[in-house]
Amino acid sequence: MSPLWLLVSIAVLALIGAVIGRRKAMASAGGDARELHSLPNYYGANVALLVTAPALLVLAAWMILQPMLIEGRVASIVPDAAYQDAGALNLLMADVRRVAGGLDLAVAQGALTAQEAHDAEATDLRARLAEIGVAVGSEVDTVILEAAQRYRVLDSRADLARTVVILILALAGFIFTVSRIDRTYRARNSVELAVLVLLIGASTIAILTTFGIVMSMLFETMNFFRQYPASEFFFSTTWDPSFSGRGGASELGILPLLWGTLYISLIALLVSVPIGLFAAIYLSEYADKRFRGFAKPLLEVLAGIPTIVYGLFALITVGPLLRDAIASPLGLGNSASSVMTAGLVMGIMLIPFVSSLSDDIINAVPQAMRDGSYGLGATQSETIRQVIVPAALPGIVGAILLAASRAIGETMIVVLGAGAAARIDVNPFEAMTTVTVKIVSQLTGDTDFSSPETLVAFALGLTLFVITLGLNVLALYIVRRYREQYE
Amino acid sequence: MNDMRFVERTVGNEEVKIAARGVHVYYGDTHAIKDVNIDIADKMVTAFIGPSGCGKSTFLRCINRMNDTIPIARIEGDIMIDGEDIYDRRVDPVQLRAKVGMVFQKPNPFPKSIYDNVAYGPKIHGLARNKAELDEIVETSLRRAALWDEVKDRLQAPGTGLSGGQQQRLCIARAVATSPEVLLMDEPCSALDPIATDQVENLIHELRERYSVVIVTHSMSQASRVSQRTAYFHLGEMVEYGETGDIFTNPRDQRTENYITGRIG
Repeated sequence: MSPLWLLVSIAVLALIGAVIGRRKAMASAGGDARELHSLPNYYGANVALLVTAPALLVLAAWMILQPMLIEGRVASIVPDAAYQDAGALNLLMADVRRVAGGLDLAVAQGALTAQEAHDAEATDLRARLAEIGVAVGSEVDTVILEAAQRYRVLDSRADLARTVVILILALAGFIFTVSRIDRTYRARNSVELAVLVLLIGASTIAILTTFGIVMSMLFETMNFFRQYPASEFFFSTTWDPSFSGRGGASELGILPLLWGTLYISLIALLVSVPIGLFAAIYLSEYADKRFRGFAKPLLEVLAGIPTIVYGLFALITVGPLLRDAIASPLGLGNSASSVMTAGLVMGIMLIPFVSSLSDDIINAVPQAMRDGSYGLGATQSETIRQVIVPAALPGIVGAILLAASRAIGETMIVVLGAGAAARIDVNPFEAMTTVTVKIVSQLTGDTDFSSPETLVAFALGLTLFVITLGLNVLALYIVRRYREQYE
Repeated sequence: MNDMRFVERTVGNEEVKIAARGVHVYYGDTHAIKDVNIDIADKMVTAFIGPSGCGKSTFLRCINRMNDTIPIARIEGDIMIDGEDIYDRRVDPVQLRAKVGMVFQKPNPFPKSIYDNVAYGPKIHGLARNKAELDEIVETSLRRAALWDEVKDRLQAPGTGLSGGQQQRLCIARAVATSPEVLLMDEPCSALDPIATDQVENLIHELRERYSVVIVTHSMSQASRVSQRTAYFHLGEMVEYGETGDIFTNPRDQRTENYITGRIG
């Protein structure tokens, strides 16, 4: 039985269980729902839960483990003479899988009978598989064919075992819960427990994923530092990777990239913070409800524009404009790609982040603060400057740091707006580049995951992660430390 | 000379500070205040009492034009302070509010230090020429609010860290710091415990010597303790207004009697 059909049968079983569970509960209470411990639906849901949850969990685990185990078994029957190293074995096993899959497909399509597939000869198998659309890398030899046949046998046995185990599990859950249903059974509490487990599971997945990302970056970064000195990476002012992948010709200093990142982010923040903050103040303090009602969503549309579109805007509009209007006349350079271009456009992108968050925060300042200030004869802008903004400051700082994290992690606008030349320069009309851009360029194309030129991407990524993490921690600290205790 | 001064004082006591004529307030379609006429005397405490939603706070907020900050509020009629119409075009509500201080129901100190809370008003109105004068204003105001002895050693501590009663006295000090002529208090003790209430009530007695105080209160015992005049509001109308003793012992209107004897409200 295929996994899909297994799922369908579990679902059907769960549905039947839910109906029967509900009926049995009602029957045990003599048809009066008030006699039951829980609402009748809880009894049904309880049965459905115990039918599906264990069966689905085991099914998921099985789907992951089965290929791994079978592959191990099959690999052990392949004679050692057929391959030289682990890489060759991997390639060979890929062929085994493809042939096995091809034979299965041929049977399923009727091109071969089961018996023919079982007795298939190595000689013309490649051609016959090609006929039904399965491409095999090289001529099928007997070793591969033998392994593939073995693979098919094990796989079909495992499939059968899977079907049986899962169905038994679902049935066991069915019988167990239905038999326990009774007037006093606390179905409501057990459903509550299931909800709790679900919620815990959801939060754990997020945490574990973060942990997994950090660990994978960490291991690759350690690989990198085994091949390339950390002091060079952190303190060298030259970024000059050689793509030959041979010899130590590459210079992989992070400083030019960090400089570009911080310079562009700084300009972006200089643009977005004042504009965003003033927009937020206008929206929350001055604008009437109707204007705010359509201006705020409109501003937030800016946040919904894909960054690549901003990048295009930088490339074809802002870049040439800045070059022709400012950089060339002032003799500051004649590159359309510049830190200024990327910074400006990124700043525009960040406006809604700053304004939307600040607006919410300013709105959260209690009306009593405003009343108190107006009651003393302060004007609106005095009230905003001296009471509201100070009261909302921790939140505003948090919003700004969040925008900074976005700016530091931005890639597309930089590629199209600032170019890809790693350089340390104070002239904002020069092309520079950022950490993220270099991560992309080191990982695209034909990469060799054992050379420092590729692995450096992970070290860059980890450094960036640490920086943004630091910013976020700082933001949290500021918010906690300086949060004013107003009621 | 002395005699003259006595006469002057008597007249001063009866001098009308705030006069309202035919005041109506609308919140959108709601008619919140209906034709209120009242003369509030100088150097006296006037209490507004009445059941919730009767409009007493709304009327109070008309006296310093705080209702201007509510976009849907609309006011008709005249309110005069010292014979000057405060709803006149030429009157700047910002200046008016410096002259007519307000203390709110819940203590609302700014999230600033105690010193800055009190110095806020004088600073924005430029009342002090230098730091020394500002220090003096702060000290005087805190003394008037009977808070100086409790906070003089921690003027730089945040005002929000004080207890509820201290916070409310801080708000009174803050209001007093701009040297207002009228002090409006909107249920200033409703969020305070009995001890803090007692302190604030004693303070109101002292404030009366310098300011015309108008207080909105839910507590009839408070009204009888602190006020010389009492006005009873009912469903947006001012039903009765007179000497506090008269109102509480000998109400003329049936509605007032029902309220003060506890039958409604």
